[in-house]
Amino acid sequence: MTNQKRESLHFIIPFFLVLLILAIVPFFASRFFQTFLTELFVWVLFAISFDLIFGYTALLSYGQALFFGLGSYTVTILMRKYGFNTELSLFLSIIIPILFAWFVGYFSVRLTGIHFVIITIIFAIIGNIIGETWTSFTGGSDGLTFSPHPFRLGLFQVDLVDIKGNYYFVLVIVAICFLFLRRMVQSPLGRIFISIRENEERARLIGYNVQRYKLIAFIIAGGLSGLAGGLYSLTLKYACASYLHWSVSGHAVVYTIVGGMGTLIGPALGAGIVMSLEHYLVDILMATDLVVGIVLVIMVLMAPKGLIGLLRLKFKRG
Amino acid sequence: MLSQLTVAILNGIVWGLIMALIALGLNMIFGLLHIINMAHGALYMLGAVVAWYLIEYIGSFWIALIVAPLLVGFIGLVIERGLIRTIEDKPITTIICTFGIMLVIQHLVLIVFGGSPRRISPPIAYRLPIFDLQYPSIRIVIALISIAMMIGLWLFLRKTKYGLWMRAVVQDREMAVGLGIPVNKVYMWTFVLGSALAAFSGILAAPIVSVEFMMGREVLIMAFIIVIVGGMGNLEGSVLAAIMISLIQGVGALFVPPSIATVFALAFMIIVLLLRPQGLFGE
Repeated sequence: MTNQKRESLHFIIPFFLVLLILAIVPFFASRFFQTFLTELFVWVLFAISFDLIFGYTALLSYGQALFFGLGSYTVTILMRKYGFNTELSLFLSIIIPILFAWFVGYFSVRLTGIHFVIITIIFAIIGNIIGETWTSFTGGSDGLTFSPHPFRLGLFQVDLVDIKGNYYFVLVIVAICFLFLRRMVQSPLGRIFISIRENEERARLIGYNVQRYKLIAFIIAGGLSGLAGGLYSLTLKYACASYLHWSVSGHAVVYTIVGGMGTLIGPALGAGIVMSLEHYLVDILMATDLVVGIVLVIMVLMAPKGLIGLLRLKFKRG
Repeated sequence: MLSQLTVAILNGIVWGLIMALIALGLNMIFGLLHIINMAHGALYMLGAVVAWYLIEYIGSFWIALIVAPLLVGFIGLVIERGLIRTIEDKPITTIICTFGIMLVIQHLVLIVFGGSPRRISPPIAYRLPIFDLQYPSIRIVIALISIAMMIGLWLFLRKTKYGLWMRAVVQDREMAVGLGIPVNKVYMWTFVLGSALAAFSGILAAPIVSVEFMMGREVLIMAFIIVIVGGMGNLEGSVLAAIMISLIQGVGALFVPPSIATVFALAFMIIVLLLRPQGLFGE
């Protein structure tokens, strides 16, 4: 018990230290940098939600873009066309993707390995085609814009048009989600996910309904990917059909592999490093995906456990 | 209407034959190495782009049709020996690795070739009259070349030593090793052949579609679907499935918007995946 307490202390102190630093940043940083960080937080959320199904349950889903895009469209369409307020729209940007994830997952978790990868891609493509075609509702590839009104959240007045307000709003939500996911993977439920990853056959023989737990992981990840999409739209005040494209899921794959899958902190770190690389190399190379691709291939071959894996190895040795 | 239908069917068959070649490459690599090559669409695109440069400097479509696949095949060799060989036994890892390779190829092409689409003009300009419409005869020639390529491939697999080895490795890898077949080399040549096939189909497609760095992205997915419907590892199934799907899409697009036709085709794929994961034509 004391060991576990010490370990959680090892996590909590650095976590809140980082949070504190990030909370001070807007007082020094340029507006441009603040927007960059806000987007980074959104991708961190997308990456850690992907880590739950890939890193913890070993399901490689290229369909997360579907839920990301759905969340983004939920916020945009509800606020633009139906005058919903921000809180409710954002809440529904979790609920609606959850319902879709339930449907998609219900069929997908029956398949394993490569078949699972492909069926999730197909679902995302269907979503993307519908988004591109149904332009009167979705705006197609041109997309839709909107502007959120300021609202009261408990003691705070939140104005998302203000860059700083947007920054703190996203930071707090992503931090809460991070703690939620961390708690979940350490809970008995999380242990079951890991047992499925390590040995699906054995988990089944112990008596766990493997498909049901895979579905649970898929639904939770889908809901949080939706929330990431919702926050992304609130940040950019915009949504378009290309958010639904299956290759958007590739972002989460890259961040998770680079950082280290099955660690939560790894994908967050991966998102930070890869996005900074893209951000600073965009002036030198017009194709940032080139760097992303090279980093991805190198990591897969040289350090399949990611940066966190490398760090752990070093600490063990030293 | 009759002439439109004829043209739709002809287009469906021509495109289906090209797709069949792409899917064959993908399926051969899958059947043998058990890896899903996400970079396959990028190699298809690379074939068309390399051909564009060759045609620009040499001026002959036909030379490009032979030289470009050899060049892309060499790139396939480098990819297989340099990158994929070390992770060949981990299917999920290879998906991610080839996804990275796809990004690299696509964006190297974007830097060198630029982002705007370019055209390769058909080497044969003659237009065949069909009822009241004019059909470009190059498409018929492309279809014939694809068929010739498939027959060649079939002969290669049935009549040569390497073909025999490849079929043996698909059937029983352990036994093949035991019998002294150089499995490692067979893997390498299969990957090279698959890459060259992708490039070859890219050049065949180039006079029909436009050449640009993203042209492989949607084709990759269609090729996946064809491989699944035809059955993974089942080469004849891939050819049948390619022609079937292209015909359904082509003829269906006469009656409903093309995107709706695609959605129905995809929904059909999901059902096939769930009910017959071994493919429509598998045992």
